[in-house]
Amino acid sequence: MTTTTEPRDERVPVTVLTGFLGSGKTTLLNRILTENHGLRVAVIENEFGEVGIDDALVLDAEEEIFEMNNGCICCTVRGDLIRILGALMRRREKFDHILIETTGLADPAPVAQTFFMDDEIAAQLRLDAIVTLVDAAHVLQHLDEVKPEGVENEAVEQIAFADRLVLNKTDLADEESVGEVIRRVRAINSGVRIIPAQHAEIDLQQVLDVGAFDLERVLADDPSFLTETEHQHDTTVTSVGIDLPGELDENKLNAWLGTLLRTKGVDIFRSKGILALAGTPRQYVFQGVHMLLDGQFGRDWRDGEERRNRLVFIGRNLDRQALERDFAACLATAGAVA
Amino acid sequence: MSTTVDSDLTVAWDITVDDAPVALSARGDLVAVAGAEGTVRVLDAAMGAEVGALELPSGALSVELAPDAGHLAVTGPLEYALWRRADGRTTVREPGAWSAAAAWADPGRVAVASGRRALVLDADGEELWRTDPAASTVTDLAWLRQGRRLAVAAYGAVHGHERHTPKPVVTYPYVGSHLALAVAPTGKWICSGNQDASIHIWRTRDGSELTMSGYSEKVSRLAFDDTGFWLAADGAPDVTVWDFSGKGPAGTAPRSLRCHETVTALAWRPGNGGHLASGSADGTVALWYATAGRPQQRLSPARELPADGAAVAALTWAGPHLLIAAYRDGRVRAYGVPSRTAL
Repeated sequence: MTTTTEPRDERVPVTVLTGFLGSGKTTLLNRILTENHGLRVAVIENEFGEVGIDDALVLDAEEEIFEMNNGCICCTVRGDLIRILGALMRRREKFDHILIETTGLADPAPVAQTFFMDDEIAAQLRLDAIVTLVDAAHVLQHLDEVKPEGVENEAVEQIAFADRLVLNKTDLADEESVGEVIRRVRAINSGVRIIPAQHAEIDLQQVLDVGAFDLERVLADDPSFLTETEHQHDTTVTSVGIDLPGELDENKLNAWLGTLLRTKGVDIFRSKGILALAGTPRQYVFQGVHMLLDGQFGRDWRDGEERRNRLVFIGRNLDRQALERDFAACLATAGAVA
Repeated sequence: MSTTVDSDLTVAWDITVDDAPVALSARGDLVAVAGAEGTVRVLDAAMGAEVGALELPSGALSVELAPDAGHLAVTGPLEYALWRRADGRTTVREPGAWSAAAAWADPGRVAVASGRRALVLDADGEELWRTDPAASTVTDLAWLRQGRRLAVAAYGAVHGHERHTPKPVVTYPYVGSHLALAVAPTGKWICSGNQDASIHIWRTRDGSELTMSGYSEKVSRLAFDDTGFWLAADGAPDVTVWDFSGKGPAGTAPRSLRCHETVTALAWRPGNGGHLASGSADGTVALWYATAGRPQQRLSPARELPADGAAVAALTWAGPHLLIAAYRDGRVRAYGVPSRTAL
């Protein structure tokens, strides 16, 4: 792996911890707070936790989901987090890390969207990763739970949004069902890094400050980013990865992505990609949550490196063929580039 | 011209508190400074000498001195407290609910936000009445009609409440997260700054509404001057100043005050001169003839007070001749502004 010298991001990293009641969130939280890692951690809890560590600042919050209108884009944010994070950042004492624990029923989208939509927060904090804990012995029954029309299966949602998935309590499930859980997780979120664990005992470096939302680090740290998925016809939430050589016409790309997120954004939970735009020497990197997208130019393409485009969509009822076809239509044809 | 004006400006006093200031309040002869970690210092406005002190264990979010400077209310993430000047007695209440703001109706009554409700207390903290819960945590409070009606901002609406009626007597709906509330001293207008980067305005007479959108960031600071004709707002690098005289700002453009990248404080000088102080994240304090020129005009500051590095946390005027600035590093400085007509 090569590292380039970049200006250091001084913003405080924020980890979002999701997972059902009983998946081991509290155990993991306690480990993060007590283990000797030298980080000063502030915790925002949405669930009345049993966490009470002297050295750590623990704040309780009640989920307040706000709809926000932003031009033609409508999205939801977490009002409670904007409020609490704002107050936290005004303290003189600085934290090295902030951890947000959500309830088992929480939708991760408004949490992530808060970091896209609030400039004051985005200026001081960066969303590091969404870490989802699942209970290897019980997650399948949550995944299979049939929800009424229009109600999301929260377990599916939390897996779809995850950057890191801690597969906990593997000691309580037999090998076969652990294999089945992994297969089901991959069907929903093909690129997620799965960390098997017992009693939430994991190397914390695998979940803290991993930079999963850092555009520069998306590919470097995430070789599994675009693992090709098997076609899964039995799940509505899936991943579609595209890997296409060539260079893109920026106007066509903008028109396509804009329309796609506007019309299908409700169903597209997450998107990310590293693209080659015609006429620029640098990679274009983007991250999206539903209809919100954040893109910027990354490193230069190296000499001799093949210009290619890699992107992934995780969402509901994704039409793989249409995505592949419409994305391919964004390629700059030889004649079109001057 | 500017050099003579510069030489007139003095630093009346300069102290440092052991906390990161988040709010200031000045009334009568007192100034109160509240810090993020909950320390509150009450100072003599003329000299900066300490008159009293109290502490909120969970930290402070806002502080408000009573109009007669006889009491003080301070609010925080889990508690609120009242302080009495006569004997320094402090009453801390711990409802465990987010208390974003306090607003005095008169020297004897204060409204305090407490979670999704507003509580109205007497000056020593005894509860007189409370509102029904709003749709979300209450973000700001303001009194109308000489302290007879309380405006409460929360998600989705600003509600008007009157004594002993927990349900609102009037509702001003707008889907969005209202962050700050400003009521014109004329009583004609209620304005809210919104998370969706807009200002929402209602005419109190008939509830007719107006939205000022196009801001680049959320609008979390709003302030009317003493005349009620001018509203200053953040939400962009430029401070915007709207003309509310006559029929109001509908169809007009604001004046833009260009000096800061990130506005962190706004405070109108008492009086009708249209003098405004603004502070920024880079530590600059700018003074403005904010109502000069024409609508849509971009104005430059009348003067800039040099930055020392730390961000401006709050600004307030202790009368027309003393501007108090609190900085994130704990410094609190009082600037003497001797001329009534000049800055």
